[in-house]
Amino acid sequence: MSIVEVQELRKQYDPPKGVLAVDGVSFHIDQGEIFSLLGPNGAGKSTTISMLSCLLHPSGGDAFVDGHSVVSDAQAVKEAIGVVPQDIALYPDMSARENLLFWGKMYGLAGAELHTRVDEVLELITLVDRQKDRVEKFSGGMKRRVNIGVALLHKPRVLYLDEPTVGIDPQSRRSILDGILALRDQGMTILYTTHYMAEAQELSDRIGIVDHGKMIAIGTNAELVKIVGEEAHVDLSVDHYLEGMVERWAEVPGVSTATIDEDRAVLLVQDANEVLPRLFETAAAAGSRITEVNVTEPNLEMVFLHLTGRALRE
Amino acid sequence: MSRILAIAWKDLRSTMRNVPALAMMLLAPLALAALLGFAFGGGQSFSISATKVAVANADTGASGAGAAENAGAVVVGVLKSPDLSDVVAVSEKPSAAAARKSVDDGKAAAAVVIPADFSGALFATSPTAPKTAVEVYENPTQEIGGAITESIVGQALLGFNGARAAALAANGLATANGDGARAAELAQQAAQKYFNDGGAAAGVSVAQRAPRLPGGESTKDVGVTGTILAGMMVFFMFFGANNVARTILDEDRAGTLPRLFTTPTPRHTILGGKYSSVFVTVTVQAVILLVAGRFIFGIDWGRLDAVAALTLVAAAVASGLALLVISAVRTPAQAGAIGAGVYLVLALLGGNFTGTAAAGGTYAQIQKLTPNGWLLQGWDAVMRGGGLADIALNLLVPLLFAVVFFAVAALRFRKRYA
Repeated sequence: MSIVEVQELRKQYDPPKGVLAVDGVSFHIDQGEIFSLLGPNGAGKSTTISMLSCLLHPSGGDAFVDGHSVVSDAQAVKEAIGVVPQDIALYPDMSARENLLFWGKMYGLAGAELHTRVDEVLELITLVDRQKDRVEKFSGGMKRRVNIGVALLHKPRVLYLDEPTVGIDPQSRRSILDGILALRDQGMTILYTTHYMAEAQELSDRIGIVDHGKMIAIGTNAELVKIVGEEAHVDLSVDHYLEGMVERWAEVPGVSTATIDEDRAVLLVQDANEVLPRLFETAAAAGSRITEVNVTEPNLEMVFLHLTGRALRE
Repeated sequence: MSRILAIAWKDLRSTMRNVPALAMMLLAPLALAALLGFAFGGGQSFSISATKVAVANADTGASGAGAAENAGAVVVGVLKSPDLSDVVAVSEKPSAAAARKSVDDGKAAAAVVIPADFSGALFATSPTAPKTAVEVYENPTQEIGGAITESIVGQALLGFNGARAAALAANGLATANGDGARAAELAQQAAQKYFNDGGAAAGVSVAQRAPRLPGGESTKDVGVTGTILAGMMVFFMFFGANNVARTILDEDRAGTLPRLFTTPTPRHTILGGKYSSVFVTVTVQAVILLVAGRFIFGIDWGRLDAVAALTLVAAAVASGLALLVISAVRTPAQAGAIGAGVYLVLALLGGNFTGTAAAGGTYAQIQKLTPNGWLLQGWDAVMRGGGLADIALNLLVPLLFAVVFFAVAALRFRKRYA
């Protein structure tokens, strides 16, 4: 059963000539699943979340959260959601506990219920011992945990997480990802945005790939990978003559596409073991020397490359 | 309501932790009031010592001039009037030379020499009669004393000249109407009527020259330090309000304001909380300054109800204005620069640095175009002993300003955060 239903959502800033940040995006999220929006920076992920948070008014389309329209019933939507913004949105001169108490009040909690929930959330984000310390004294990872904790205070039906692991150390990232999986196991529905392919692959029940404001693919990880078939991803660096080599490699049997990404060639090949010797031979014949080779099995990165002709990180 | 209070409390606590902001809100006005108060008298009231004036009245009078047969004596009487006893101290000298010598010896700031033919020339009925002049002999190193003496004597002579003009006009009319026999009598009556109608100042009362303020008929003296601190308090309330209102922009940039908008708390509640925090902060600021003024400088602010009303209205004006400024800018830096400009111009126009009591003419009218001008007049009236009824307009007009400021700011915020 869908708890989030997005229908042809559209956002244009400063119409009619402004940027079309989201261009007719549609998807749904089932109760209790993690749905990730995967795309490069500027793809429209945060704008989509802003509209689903009732922070931005859509230029077109609509979205329903727990049956309530973000256009006409924003108040009910806000009561159903918890939003974790991309940047830390806390009061640095207040302690972790003071922050949680304040935000709890903003979510309508009060009295004993408020204090109980704050205690529970502090436990959940493992900051009970540091609850009286000012947030400004926390590490990036600890701030991220408080940032997430705020959105959990009122036990939302749907949790939006907008790139919550940007700029933190691997240990904190691991902790946050584990926490998100635990929340899903408790039945919470999660909308997650990221430009990290590995996170989307690990966390998501389903993934929507967005680029230039459009939803270009949607499905489970396995379904999406099938888009590029069984092709492997081969990165090659050469000592010189890169452009000429890419043109020649594109004609090698078994190579589906060959493009340039900065100072290396990116190839999709059907069977890496079979094709690699031919690539070396072609390079040698052209007087060029391969200096580095990376082979990657099919993944979301390759799906994005296949669909857009660009690498995901661009 | 609890959410509004939560936002207000959060901001208030944040402000109280901001030491530089607190120094600007509380220490700066107190320090400025202390410095300026010291510069203008160092104490409760602004005062200068009475100017010493030596007077030599050689006027022999004019025969047949009735009640004013010796105009020189009248001038001396004006100078020695009880109303002016705080301003001039007169010593009569037997001769013009003796009077001038007093000045030369530094015993007097100015000498007034009234010539022997003063009354004769004054009461001559012929327009072609010889003219005469009263001499004011001044010590050039005591400019203020000389200026005061000149002003008083000039005022008295202005009255005589007016009476003389009236007498000459009556005389001319009587002669023209063939009533020459009664010309002198009619001229005297005209001159007398001029005096009786107040055309001539029998004495120049400083109190009478003071501006007419609400409650101005009261008798309390207003201390310079109190006047200055009232001006500084209102001025720095603007800055205090600006500091707190600026947190809207700070929070917008920090992401906490957009996050607040994603909570079920309505936007008008969030902005209401912000307004409350500004209002409460500047009210607390004003109360601290009032109490400090009372105990540090001994300022008698006046009746408690009127003081409370003025404080609350001043806080409303400062809050509304600060929100208006913040709604018109995009960044905290702009808020600081543009806010400072707006508040400074308002303070200059409204009289925060000069007080409102001394203002007259066009400047007094300009002051009334500003909310702070009205407020300061109210403070002056209350410090003079005025009550709520006396300052009704000084409360209502600024309150109207505050409502307009807040309404425009609310509309702009609504548009910005729609």
